[in-house]
Amino acid sequence: MYRLPFFIAFLLLLFTSCEQYSDYVKSDVTYYSNDEYLYDYLGNSKDAVFKVNLPLELLKRENIATPLGLQVNGFGAFDVYWDGIFVGSNGKIARSGQDEVPGTEMTYYQIPENLAGIGKHVVTINGTQTQLREANRGISIKLESFLSLHRAPLIVMSFMNLMAGAFLIAAIYYFFLYVNSMRKETTVLLFGIICLLFFCLLLIEYVKFYIDIPYPQYYTRLKIVGWLTFCISILVPWYFMLQFDFKKKKLFLFLLLLSLLAIYIIYYGHYDLTAIYFSYVMCLFSIIIASNATIRKVKGGLIVVTGLLASIVVNYFVFFDFGLFVAFTIIVLSMLYLHTIRAKAIEEAHNASLLLSSRLQLELIKKNIQPHFLRNTLTSLIDWVEESPQQGVVFIRALADEFDIMNSIAEETLIPIREEIALCQKHLEVMSFRKEICYDWEEKNIDDTEEIPPAIIHTIVENGITHSMTPKQDCIRFCLSFSKETNYKEYALLVIAANRKSKKDKSNGTGFKYIKARLNESYGNNWHFDSVAVEDGWLTTIKIFDIK
Amino acid sequence: MKILIIEDEARIAKRLERMTRDFFDKEVQILLCDSLENGLNTIETQTIDLLLLDLNLNGEDGFDVLQSVTAKSFQTIIISAYTDKAITAFNYGVLDFVPKPFDETRLSQAFTRFTSSEKQPNGAIQFLAVKKAKTIKLILIEEIKYIKGAGIYTELHLTDGRIELHDKSLESLEKLLPSSFQRIHKSYILCWHEADKLVVEAGGRYNMLLKNGELLPVGRSKYKEIRFRMI
Repeated sequence: MYRLPFFIAFLLLLFTSCEQYSDYVKSDVTYYSNDEYLYDYLGNSKDAVFKVNLPLELLKRENIATPLGLQVNGFGAFDVYWDGIFVGSNGKIARSGQDEVPGTEMTYYQIPENLAGIGKHVVTINGTQTQLREANRGISIKLESFLSLHRAPLIVMSFMNLMAGAFLIAAIYYFFLYVNSMRKETTVLLFGIICLLFFCLLLIEYVKFYIDIPYPQYYTRLKIVGWLTFCISILVPWYFMLQFDFKKKKLFLFLLLLSLLAIYIIYYGHYDLTAIYFSYVMCLFSIIIASNATIRKVKGGLIVVTGLLASIVVNYFVFFDFGLFVAFTIIVLSMLYLHTIRAKAIEEAHNASLLLSSRLQLELIKKNIQPHFLRNTLTSLIDWVEESPQQGVVFIRALADEFDIMNSIAEETLIPIREEIALCQKHLEVMSFRKEICYDWEEKNIDDTEEIPPAIIHTIVENGITHSMTPKQDCIRFCLSFSKETNYKEYALLVIAANRKSKKDKSNGTGFKYIKARLNESYGNNWHFDSVAVEDGWLTTIKIFDIK
Repeated sequence: MKILIIEDEARIAKRLERMTRDFFDKEVQILLCDSLENGLNTIETQTIDLLLLDLNLNGEDGFDVLQSVTAKSFQTIIISAYTDKAITAFNYGVLDFVPKPFDETRLSQAFTRFTSSEKQPNGAIQFLAVKKAKTIKLILIEEIKYIKGAGIYTELHLTDGRIELHDKSLESLEKLLPSSFQRIHKSYILCWHEADKLVVEAGGRYNMLLKNGELLPVGRSKYKEIRFRMI
């Protein structure tokens, strides 16, 4: 029922405003002002002097306890007048014989309380702009309580500094992690760089609030912001590509670079817009990579896609400045999450390797207590003791020696080759008592300084004993030779004897598994193991490649 | 008598040979093989009475070998380091399992089990391995109704009516089977659970009536023992 009068009042209000003022601004100060951005005030005057009158009508002030404040955004050096009364200056105006001292882009002025009454006022700005005249930048003013004008950036900056600090710590942490890590993972370094760049971006973006940048340098800051965004926009998708093991990395990186450069060229001069488009491209590429990872069921893929979509939503609803940073934070958080997943995988692999090591230790110890060895040895031993106690004692000594060596190497992952040879010789001595076959040991070019995983040659010797036929009168000979080439070293053990026929494929026996696991433990994948029948008997070779 | 020793450790093989010879008073022919393969070839070509087998029961093919040797007519004694596999070996129907290291007493005990006609059940046997064409088939002991001697073979009469041939003699099987099996005739071993009642026919012939109605002859010499068991 009150609608009609309201509507009429509104229309009237609208028309009155149309007369003179185009903008109705409401903060804690309500006022009308003319065109907020005033262009073309510079004219063509050679001395670059300008004078701008900005009329406004103050309607209401909510916070009378604090003085009224005036914010002026504009280039040049100028004095500001409120109703003809001087309220402050920005830089120093150029006069004859005196160069202009450039002011900064954004300044605040306090309006004397006796002049800040409700009603019409006029802000007059008198000044010069000797530089960047081609920028054709407008002047705008804003009224708010003096306190709010100063407090608003503080509130924004408190959040931004909080974020910047977090990123700085993350950057430092990941740099340290990279420096002290054995693996030197590119992703760690990349993540550190991204965090550092992001820290710089936040710093540069908000540096305007605490440093007076002379207006000729105004675009420098924007350029730095642009380049930082550019770098981040390349690095983030690259990071995701590495982390998700994306195929066609180079092609994608090339496309990314191409699109970013295209944006840079097309929108040259539109600093904020360029940065926004950079981040759009970054988001698009990241989403493609993460979606691909999700389809391939790579761990963490879904989380990143969700994070990216969330950042797009945030960007849509929040103004660029904040939106970009919140979006970036979400992206970095999802990257951090990926990193922890990776760390977990590495930890698991490490645990598995520890487990493997202890399993191998156990296997080594079991070699001499497994029933096949122990009980057969003891049976032979009883027989020797019954028949020839003196020989029995020699047998016992040899056995004790073998046990001693086994015991001393049990917990090592690498032992001197001499020790391994001693172990093999003792084993052959024990076996010669058991089998009553003569075993010969020969060696060629053994380098005593070399090391080898424990009991791997011993295992080959065991196999040699099992798979060789009993010779009529001669000995079974074991020849171990060592050779060192430019990029690998090689052990070859030749067992000279006739081979027993075996239906079973020998290459997958527990003995070979043990040897391979030991080689893996100490040399990663840099080894080659081969075991083949040759004319003389059986030849086993172990090649260990130098780590590049 | 022919005894085959399969043992790849020369010292242990000699020890076995020596002790075997001592036990059987040198009237025995001993064959030595130092590998399983040679040993199995020997089994194919020669008839033996007893096998002393060192079986690496930890290997996957250990039990295949075990099945194929227990399906044969001779008795098998396992000599092995893998003492924890003794029960499994008995399940497959070996006469004895001698763990390494062994002494003369333990080996003699195993030989006594071989030579004595008395039943010394270990109760662990679960299958009888039967050779069928070229494969080995395991017959569950519970499936056997009775066993009939048929020349050098034996017929295993199963609960489902099937008849399987086994290479071992009735005497050899009697030693392996659990006490629930009773020798009732020179040609018959009966699973006691199948027995219903003892029937005396005219002329003093004794028969055993089975639960399924079949009649099996009962030996005159076994009659007393069986009648006692029926009560």
